[in-house]
Order: sequence, then structure tokens, then C-alpha cells
Amino acid sequence: MAKEVNITQSDLYAARIFFYAAVPLLKVICQSEPKFGDKFKGKNFTFQISAKYEKAEGGKMATHFSVEDGVWTTHAGEVLENPDIELEFSNLKKFIIFFTGKGMVSVLPKFKGIFKNFGIFKDLLMALLRMAGLMQAKDKPEKEEDQVMLCKLYFYLLPNGISQLNKMGHPDVKEVTESSPDRAYALVAEGYPELQSWLRIKAGKSMSGRGEYKRCKPFLAMKFKSPSLALDILMSKADMVDYIGREYLFVDGAPEFGGIVGGLMFKVAYYAQGKYLDEE
Amino acid sequence: MAGGITFTAVESTKLATAEIFGKTIAELGEKDPKIVCLSPDLATSTKMKDFLDKYPERFFNVGIAEQNMIGIAAGLAKSGMTAFASCFSVFASLRALDQVHTDVCYQNVNVKIIGTHGGTSFGQAGSTHHAIEDIGVIRPLVNMTIIVPADGIETANAVRAAAATDGPFYIRINRGFDNVVYDAKKDYGFQVGKAVEMIEGTDITIIACGSCVYQAMQAASILNFDHKIKARVLNMHTIKPIDREAVLKAVAETRKIVTVEDHTVIGGLGSAVAEVIVEGGKACMLRKLGLQDKFSAIGLHEDLMAMHEIDAQGIVKNVLEVMKLDIEKDEFWGDEV
Repeated sequence: MAKEVNITQSDLYAARIFFYAAVPLLKVICQSEPKFGDKFKGKNFTFQISAKYEKAEGGKMATHFSVEDGVWTTHAGEVLENPDIELEFSNLKKFIIFFTGKGMVSVLPKFKGIFKNFGIFKDLLMALLRMAGLMQAKDKPEKEEDQVMLCKLYFYLLPNGISQLNKMGHPDVKEVTESSPDRAYALVAEGYPELQSWLRIKAGKSMSGRGEYKRCKPFLAMKFKSPSLALDILMSKADMVDYIGREYLFVDGAPEFGGIVGGLMFKVAYYAQGKYLDEE
Repeated sequence: MAGGITFTAVESTKLATAEIFGKTIAELGEKDPKIVCLSPDLATSTKMKDFLDKYPERFFNVGIAEQNMIGIAAGLAKSGMTAFASCFSVFASLRALDQVHTDVCYQNVNVKIIGTHGGTSFGQAGSTHHAIEDIGVIRPLVNMTIIVPADGIETANAVRAAAATDGPFYIRINRGFDNVVYDAKKDYGFQVGKAVEMIEGTDITIIACGSCVYQAMQAASILNFDHKIKARVLNMHTIKPIDREAVLKAVAETRKIVTVEDHTVIGGLGSAVAEVIVEGGKACMLRKLGLQDKFSAIGLHEDLMAMHEIDAQGIVKNVLEVMKLDIEKDEFWGDEV
């Protein structure tokens, strides 16, 4: 009989961030970096990452991708019955430990469909390793192209992660969103049009997006002078106030709200980096 | 500096707006012998006595006959003079409308009408002396420029701009004292047709004119401190030609606008802003504060502003209501992946 695994509320927050905000970044890697994306040109397949969780509908949680003629579509939080390739974790805890980088061998998933689709599986694995290598790094990469890529991943992950916590009803996040009028918060790396993302909140609701926020002027935009300087802040390697003083970061909007957004981003990192696991 | 005025900043806070107009026109009269002033037996009320004392040969008291005043002013302007004709706003706009239309605007002459006792500022005099439709009546007149200054400093700037610019002007000022909005020592760059951003904000834009500008600024402060709402405040001193660029920027950046004016909500600042919004083609929530198609009660100006919700508290109440309204169907709250 399998050992019973205790899934906490924090696990559920972390799982939500991974399935809805982090795992979908695989598509971003494949779309942004031809050395990975080109491998799937003209290919058709479905790929799923899942974790068994008996309280979930169907007994598992998942996100899957459908690739048609090399074009990726993400189905965040959606379980596919019979994907061509699947990484299936035996429980949610192992899935979280794997993606936080806090363990590898002991939590390896079951690989399904790899013999039939070995070529695609190998290419998927390379893209996954690329994503993990960037996201789990403790220091910012040296190469500029890697800095740009990691900055993009962070920019896309953080607003989405906040929105996911809000949708899960996280009390700290809800406290901010429920009292908020219709406002948007943006992350911008100046000179890199693709390095922009935003979070819109309104009376308890939230949504996140990529690129420039066009609906109106963001209530607050954190504009970094470069992807490298953005990573210094996002990876907690520099002090935000110091960077504002040096004009490496310009907070366009009500400055007192910068701290609120920063707090929400740290909340995402708390779960995505598995810091809560260390406290359990 | 406020366009080179010679009275001091201290004086500017002690003078009623009309008194600042009176001092400004007296100064201008010294420099420009072509400036003449006209009054329908209201030189004291409209504060033109300084000019009268200095240049009696260039001052014309036409008696209690506003229509004649405008007609004579147009004739003087046709003869090469720059005519400043001052009387209560309600009589300049309604009683003398035909003369303003045909003698001034159609001829496109240098007549500068100073409408005093604007809005409900002469509240205790009763509805016959409330000018709540003047902007709506004057605004469609071809060639006319309309300015509603926020305070005495801006009045001085507006009068100077009118003297320096060819064509008809209607400058609407209040009776008595206006709360001071501008520092007399600083040049805030007054330009006809260019709104002034008094306070930055991205949650909502409050567009105000005249005495409502001060109230809007107070409201923005309350909204920030009590409700953490960042309201942009625009001083739209020129109603015609309106600053389209500032309105469209407010639409694009805040998507919610509240206009505030001491005037009926039909035909004035709110209507002018609404015309720009509609032509801009982008969805925007608009609420017009002012007299809601009704005559005002009689009373002190401050009380009437509160009654018509164009004081700070009234603006705060309405902004909070607008902040809760949806501009469009807002049912999709998905995340991009």
C-alpha cells in the first residue's frame, strides 16, 4: 500500500503556480529560442505534465500542450486523457519537489509514451532542462541572451503567479485585490519590447498578460534599465531603493504601491522556490 | 510669474478675482492706448474703477443696457480699439446674446467680454443673477474663445492673453474671492487652449474649470489619503477651443472621467469633454457634475456648491461611485499562457 502523502494548502498554492504559470513557460522557451523550437517544426503531438492527486477531478492535476504542425497551444490546468507523451508524478508533493529543484532522482516521474515518440521526447527534455536550468539558477546568467530569456520567464511567471494565488483565494493576495479598483501593474525592461508583462486587478478579480498593457496607462509600472538589472532585483541580488536611487529602476506611478507589488511577487517566489517546504 | 503682473503674491491672495481683473486691465491700459473699457453702470461691481480713474477718456459707462454695451464695444473694436466689456455673466450671455452673436462674433472683432458673477457665485442674489447657462449659450458662437480661470492669477493670465490675441473672448470669473490655486511667483505656463495637469493620477481624471478646480484638487487629496485612489486633476481653463489632446490622453490613460463645473451639465465643460470623447472612439466612463438641468436654490456660493455636489466632498462621493462602474463587459479574467 502506497504511503499516504499529506498535501498542505501551501502545496496546493505551489502546484497551482507550477501548473498554471510555470509549466506553460515551456512554450515560451520553444517559441523564443529557435534551437529548441525548430526541433518541433511540422510535428504534431500532445504532451502532458501531471501529478496524481486524489482530491482533484479525475484523480490528477495537469497541464498539457498540443502541438499542431509545430505550433504550440497551452492548456493550463487541463487534463488530457491519452497524451502522446506524459511525465506523470505519483503525487503532488513529488511534482513540487521536482519543479522547485529541491530533489530530482527520488521524485522522478513516470515517463509515458517515450518509446513510441523518442525523438520528440528527447527534444522536449532538452527544452525542459533549458527552462529548469534558467529558473532554478541561484545567480543570474552571464550571457546576455540568457539574461534576456530568464528575464522574460520571470516577467511572465510573476504576474501570472500572483493572479493564480488570487484565484485560489490566498488571503494575503485577496486582501490586496478585493480592495482594489480597476488597476494594472506592469513590468518593463526598457529597450526590449518583448520583455513586458502586466497584472490587472479589480474588486477581487485578476488577470495577467504579456507585452504592453494597452487598455489604459498602468497604475504602476516598474521600468528596469536592462534585463540584467531587472534580474538583480527579481533574484534578490540588489536593493530596490538603491536601484531607484541609481536610476536603474524607474517606478512610474504611485511609489507607495511598489512595495505592495513587490510583496506579492515575493509571495509567488515563496511557493515557486519551495521555501515553505523548508519550514514544514 | 503670472504674465508680468505687478501686484504682489500677497496682494493676489487678498484681492477678489474681479479686483485682479481690474488691476490687470489698468496695467494693460497703461501700455496699450488702444484698450478701452465699457460697463453697464457696474464699474464698481466689476472692479474697473482703477481703469476709470486712470483713463476716464477711454472708459464708457453705457448705463444699465448690456445690449448697447456690446454693440458699442463692437463698434469701437471695428475702429481699431481693443474693447473690454464687463458685466454680470448672466446678462452678457443671455440678454446681450444677439449682439454678441452678430456684432461681435460675426464681425470677428476685438471685443473681450468679462463675465463676472459667474455660475452660482452670486448665489444670494437669486436665480435671475445665477449664470448657469452662459457657457452653453456662448460656446456655439463662431470665432469665440471661452476661458474660465481657476483663480485670480489665472484671471490675470487670461486677460493678458485676450488682450494679446485677435478676436472675441469670453472670460468668465466669479464674484468675490476664489481659493488660490496658483503661486503668483511661479510661471505655470498658461496657454489658451492648453489644460494644466494640477495633480498626476491614473485611476481617474477629474476635469474642472473655474472655482471647481480648487475643489477638485481637494477631492483628489481626500481620495488619495482616505481611499488610496490616485485621481488626475486637469484645469481645463479654456472651454473653447478645448484641449482635445489632454482629454484624449485622459481617456487613454485613465478610462474614467468626471467633469466639474459651476454650470448646468448641458452645454458647458462636461458637454465639450463628451464631444471629444465620442469623436475619439475609445470607451470611457464619463460623469458630468454641475447643475443637473435645474435652477439653483438661493444661498451662499459654498453652500450651493455643496448642494450641487461640485465641492470637494461631492466630487469624492461621485468619483467613488464611478470607480465601481464597469466601462465594458468584463467577464473574461483569464491569464495569458
